[in-house]
Amino acid sequence: MDQNTREELLRLFNSKLNQAMKFYLETCSRCGMCTHACHVHESMPQVKYIAAYRAEIVRRLYKRYFKKQGRIWPWMGESKELGDVALEELYEAAYSCTGCRRCMVYCPHGIDTQMLMSIAKLLLVGANSEPEILTLLADTSIEKGRSIDLLKTSFMQGVKRLEEEVVKKWKTEAGETTIPVDVEGASLLYVALAGAHSIIPAAAVFNAAKENWTLSFFEAVNFGAFVGDPTKTKLILDRIVNEARRLKVKEVCICECGTAYRVMKQLSGKQPFAVSSVTEVHARYIKEGRIQLDRFAFKDPVTYHDPCQIARNAGVIYEARYILNSLADDYREMSPDPKYNWCCGGGGGLVALGDETLDFRMKSAKVKAEQVNDTGAKILSTACENCHTQLSNLNDHYKMDVRVRFLSSMVADALVQPDALS
Amino acid sequence: MSEEIKADKVMDLRGMPCPMPVVKISKGIKEVEIGQVVEAHSTDPGSLTDFPAWARTSGNEILKTEQDGDVIKFFIKRTA
Repeated sequence: MDQNTREELLRLFNSKLNQAMKFYLETCSRCGMCTHACHVHESMPQVKYIAAYRAEIVRRLYKRYFKKQGRIWPWMGESKELGDVALEELYEAAYSCTGCRRCMVYCPHGIDTQMLMSIAKLLLVGANSEPEILTLLADTSIEKGRSIDLLKTSFMQGVKRLEEEVVKKWKTEAGETTIPVDVEGASLLYVALAGAHSIIPAAAVFNAAKENWTLSFFEAVNFGAFVGDPTKTKLILDRIVNEARRLKVKEVCICECGTAYRVMKQLSGKQPFAVSSVTEVHARYIKEGRIQLDRFAFKDPVTYHDPCQIARNAGVIYEARYILNSLADDYREMSPDPKYNWCCGGGGGLVALGDETLDFRMKSAKVKAEQVNDTGAKILSTACENCHTQLSNLNDHYKMDVRVRFLSSMVADALVQPDALS
Repeated sequence: MSEEIKADKVMDLRGMPCPMPVVKISKGIKEVEIGQVVEAHSTDPGSLTDFPAWARTSGNEILKTEQDGDVIKFFIKRTA
């Protein structure tokens, strides 16, 4: 690595050093409490998969370049040179961590390994050593924002194709639009993913609740966050923020995508609209009596996988249980409880890397498969696209014999139709 | 219509959830020579905007988009 590259990477490192990050870098007491917290280590017991080990790679670079002893006597203590070997270690650490923050719950100091891995990911971006496909996906999202006027016609064609399926789940009254788009003054802006499965059930439930809603032109997922590039994360986020402000909506509702929800909820700053997950909105509709669900719509035992970015990292835990207890005859909680729930093993961009990570994802999430199997459930519900894909892969790999369902699609399928109500 | 453009490679991306169609096409386009054409079949309605944005980002060219029932067909020329 040449000196200019190293200096640029250290500038990026320095840009991440806020008070919280310095605390995480200077506090680890090597107590070992995080050892068994990581699903990767618990499924594949190797030192390199201990949370503190991952953090230590970043910490030693910090000691070398940002602490007096490392700068003056780099051969003393536990410091590490920033070079090609360090980049390889950072890659292995960052892309074997899903950012689930289970280790943080166990750490007596509350050290946030996911935040420390954000330094690792930023250095990889700076060195052009990040997974190329994640950057391409982020750039594609940004390009959609730039050229949305050119893409609107195609988008509307795509949406039109879905209306028939929405009406099958909930009939649209005469004069109403089945999937409204670009409605200024709507109360709620729904930000979906690109797939039909993310739009059809949600649209049916919004229409059943008589919500004054509109569909976003943009997909919710933020690949900038997956790849750990703060500039791209903000550009992708701003597309939705600007659309919400232009349409003057009161609420931005994020679809079943954990990262999208956490990024919008925690990084969009103070805005004139509230941010909610579709799970929160559906729970609210049930509580307010705006939708009626068949209490026994699902008779097979159901369990729920908490997406880490929605539950542990953003606090939406109760709502999913409330929904499931409103439509399932036999809801079974996993053990341990949601705060300590095992990650599915697909976060942090691993699912988006596709087949490249499949073998690692299957081996590293063995504990998740066991946790699901222990419930005896036949339906495995979740509220995140990444989790759904990963759990479906686990279902095939470990022959779990469950049906993996999006929570929102279960709500749509349990809607009591107007003719039944009358 | 699809006879008008001769594809050098056909990719079946039907049923794949987001972002897999874009992930697969990004890899698949590199398996043909510059100037050759990939015909990609997707059922993801988001592809209608994802693919043009991806093509602009990656420097490739979408020659034609066709819809055949639920299937969207893209004819993409590798130019980068």
